[in-house]
Amino acid sequence: MPRQLLRTRLRSLFWRRSPEQEVDDELAQHLALTARRLEQAGLSPEAARAAALQRFGDLNQVRAECRVLAHEYEDDMRRRETFQELRQDASYGLRVLRRTPLFTTIALLTLAIGIGASTAIFSVVHAVLLRALPYREADRTVVIWNGYTQAGGRSHTAIAPPEFADVREQTQVFDAVAAVGRQTANLTGSCGGSSACEPERVAGYAVSPDLFRLLGTASPVVGRGFVDGDGAEGAEPVVLLSHALWMRRFAGDSSLVGRTIDVSGRLRTVIGVMPPEVRFPDAPLDFLRERGDLWIPHAWERNRSEERGNQYLGMIARLRPRASLAQAQRDLEAIGARFRAEWPDRYARADLRWGLDAFPLREHMIGEARSAILVVAGAVGLLLLLACANVAHLTLARGTVRQRELAVRTALGARRGRLVRQLLTESVLLALGGSVLGLLTAVVGVRLLVVLDPGNIPHLDTARVDGVVLLFTLGVALAAGLLIGLLPAMRQSQVRPSERLQDGARGAATGHPRRRLRSVLVVAEVAMALVILVGAGLLARSFIALQRVDTGFDSRDVLTVQLALPRARYDSASKIVAFHARVREQLATIPGVAAVGGADPLPMSGSGWSGSMYVEDLRVPPEQAEQHAEYAVALPGYFRAMGIPLLEGRDFTDADRRGAPLTVIVDERLAAKYWPGQSAIGKRINPNRAQGTWATIVGVVKHVYNAGPRQEGEPQIYVSFLEHIQHPLTYVLRTGGDPLSVVRAVRRAIASVDPELPVARMATMADLESRALARDRFNALVLSVFALTALVLAAIGLYGVMAYLVNQRTAEIGVRLALGGRPYDVVRLVIGEGMAMALTGIVLGVAVSLALSNVLAGLLYGVAPIDPLTYTAIAAVLALVALLASAIPARRAARVDPVAAHR
Amino acid sequence: MTPPSRPLLQGTLDLLVLRTLAWGPRHGYAIARWIEETTHDVLRVEEGSLYPALYRMQKKGWIRSDWGESELGKPIRIYSLTVKGRAELRAQSAHWDAVVAAMAKVLRPA
Repeated sequence: MPRQLLRTRLRSLFWRRSPEQEVDDELAQHLALTARRLEQAGLSPEAARAAALQRFGDLNQVRAECRVLAHEYEDDMRRRETFQELRQDASYGLRVLRRTPLFTTIALLTLAIGIGASTAIFSVVHAVLLRALPYREADRTVVIWNGYTQAGGRSHTAIAPPEFADVREQTQVFDAVAAVGRQTANLTGSCGGSSACEPERVAGYAVSPDLFRLLGTASPVVGRGFVDGDGAEGAEPVVLLSHALWMRRFAGDSSLVGRTIDVSGRLRTVIGVMPPEVRFPDAPLDFLRERGDLWIPHAWERNRSEERGNQYLGMIARLRPRASLAQAQRDLEAIGARFRAEWPDRYARADLRWGLDAFPLREHMIGEARSAILVVAGAVGLLLLLACANVAHLTLARGTVRQRELAVRTALGARRGRLVRQLLTESVLLALGGSVLGLLTAVVGVRLLVVLDPGNIPHLDTARVDGVVLLFTLGVALAAGLLIGLLPAMRQSQVRPSERLQDGARGAATGHPRRRLRSVLVVAEVAMALVILVGAGLLARSFIALQRVDTGFDSRDVLTVQLALPRARYDSASKIVAFHARVREQLATIPGVAAVGGADPLPMSGSGWSGSMYVEDLRVPPEQAEQHAEYAVALPGYFRAMGIPLLEGRDFTDADRRGAPLTVIVDERLAAKYWPGQSAIGKRINPNRAQGTWATIVGVVKHVYNAGPRQEGEPQIYVSFLEHIQHPLTYVLRTGGDPLSVVRAVRRAIASVDPELPVARMATMADLESRALARDRFNALVLSVFALTALVLAAIGLYGVMAYLVNQRTAEIGVRLALGGRPYDVVRLVIGEGMAMALTGIVLGVAVSLALSNVLAGLLYGVAPIDPLTYTAIAAVLALVALLASAIPARRAARVDPVAAHR
Repeated sequence: MTPPSRPLLQGTLDLLVLRTLAWGPRHGYAIARWIEETTHDVLRVEEGSLYPALYRMQKKGWIRSDWGESELGKPIRIYSLTVKGRAELRAQSAHWDAVVAAMAKVLRPA
């Protein structure tokens, strides 16, 4: 076959006739030869020609047929030729790579890092941002909140049932509107088998029966979904389970459908199990934070007579086909106008600019995670470029060695395109090899990322290396291979062979353009490394700042236990009080427990309450009389157990109970806001706005960051639990040592009072606090790893180039030394060149970082995105690393033996 | 006049061309002449149909073409047998022999 190829090549080289032409010529010759024979046999030339034609048959048809065949053959040949060349290039490339094992190993590892990291991050991006939500209608679904404008910007609160009912009735733009509320879900009793199970508390939601239809969720894997009438007055109590809960607690038993389970003291018939990917709300929708385990239907419009201040629902609505978000906002504005007209004191306050605000569901679910992921993806992209630049360096350096080989091939007539293709084939081979190693890295990396799951990145747990990710990796590898090979290939194939051969013979390449190319690469590398390092540095500083925030309580040695008493069994205040009296008594006797208290909601737990109140004798315009504050209920002893300093007055006591005069404890901020410069003790506020229910302030405590260290929160009011009795409460125990050492005793103590009550939610306060910082830790950690890698890659790149330059200039350096130059001058020369490149890179990197600074701004806390300290420190570190990287080649240069250099 | 020619059996032309080229490389006209002479015109090849057959066999890799000079002093395609073509010739000849033997048995029972 190769000979055949050569022939084809030569022919096309010398004749360059089209296949059609060749066919015509061949047939014409046949006819001419036949005619000649017939002429020799005695026919006249005309007769001979006519006879030849006649013997030939249908000339036109034969010609047409032959032309088609000749064309096909030509195409075949060309394809085969290309493939053959590719195979030759590949096998030749592999031989070359095998001949230089050190180069190949370093290049492979560098690429494995770059491609591995990008693959791992891409699989997260794919899982979180790109893969569709498990809802067909997600793109026309919106979330609606009550919006208020306050000092800190627009804030949002939940929806009250009558507000939901009104929107549902009055909308012109939405074709379905649903409401979602949290639902206490204590599971007790059987798990499907005969024996009883541990009681357990899961994430339950009470939803409008059409919620899943609205979202366009796939139908349940077992049983049926909700239908209209489910959740209506007097309807059969039913429940839908998540696939996860069904598998975990009920071992995937499909005969469960149709049977009843005990949900918070009420027997409900299981009607179906949702598909595994459906965990609505899949990502935090404001206060609806936990992925759903079970759903109970509730027609929320039944609650329309409730107070409009009872805002505890999320509202989900679906736009009519082809309706826009702007139309939706106008529709909500029209409904809001009616609200304002009817309840001016609630909705029409000028300073709050109340309105119903709609957000696309997808954006809302992913919003928090998006910027973090994009920053990480950006960093990993830079890292990949760095890795490519480094391998390009290596290839360039090796190119020096290969000059002669390529020059010989050029001299022997290899086309420039063919040489370029040869070099590209080699770098693509390298990149493909690197991506195989990179995939292994990625598989491990993805597992690590999933373990680091900060809990608020939706679907992160579904990230894995799948087909799409593999395709991405392949694409990245090809792109990296071309990128790496292109520069050196262009460079090497340009030079005339005579020059190259002479150069090679003399052993001293001058090659100015090549050196410039290398310098550009190094400058770019340093700049990219600086950008990543600055990002990581800022995130790390921000994380440290967050950890240093004084959250107002002492999280060390504190255990928290969430309890939710089922309404069915605890149907009166006295039963609840009796339960807690006994539990407090039992817990206090546990050895190692120093203090017992309780509160709801607990700081850092993800939930919070806030509401309106009046302050007695406050001199403000009447429309501003309603003030806003955060609320919590607390058991006596809570502040001591939680380590919240009591600044003035007293804690609650058992006497602060129903029937006794109303008392409240406020935080320092509330006290300072309304009674600056005087004591708040004895002053009165009206926390629940009922007429004449004034409560006396008996204590002032330190302000607590309830929603995590990022949010200062509003002034706070604590109400006595014993006065404001409710079902959920979280116990807080201060222990003498490791809080986890008392876990078993706490379980026993609670079980001794009520064996049916689930105590699943036990967590140390330190855990809760660290969970509140999980996202920041995730960002800082991932970016730091990238940044360190980037630093190493940039250092290697710089070192490589300096070493190469010194090598190239051995002769020149030798001359300098021979002419009396001091080694010190040589060191200075080399280091000076290295530092010039590094400093250019640093300046460029600082400029790019500054330009990108607002991308990071949203992720930072307590540190400006243009923080001078971070910039200076990072620049200094890079400069130092650059100094080291050029010092080693510089020392070698200083030791050049002038005689040896000129031999 | 020429005796009435009989239509060629399917695939016979390929076999004839392979056989012809087994003696050595030649151009299309020469192949046609050789077939005509050795079969004494019993198997008359319609000369036009020879060329599509040649192109087809070249595509199959049984024969290849090089450039030579014709008796008229012009460049012309010279066809020759490839290794693959030689193997094909052996296989087709064997098959042909088998068919002929079988037909002979049927037509002239011993």
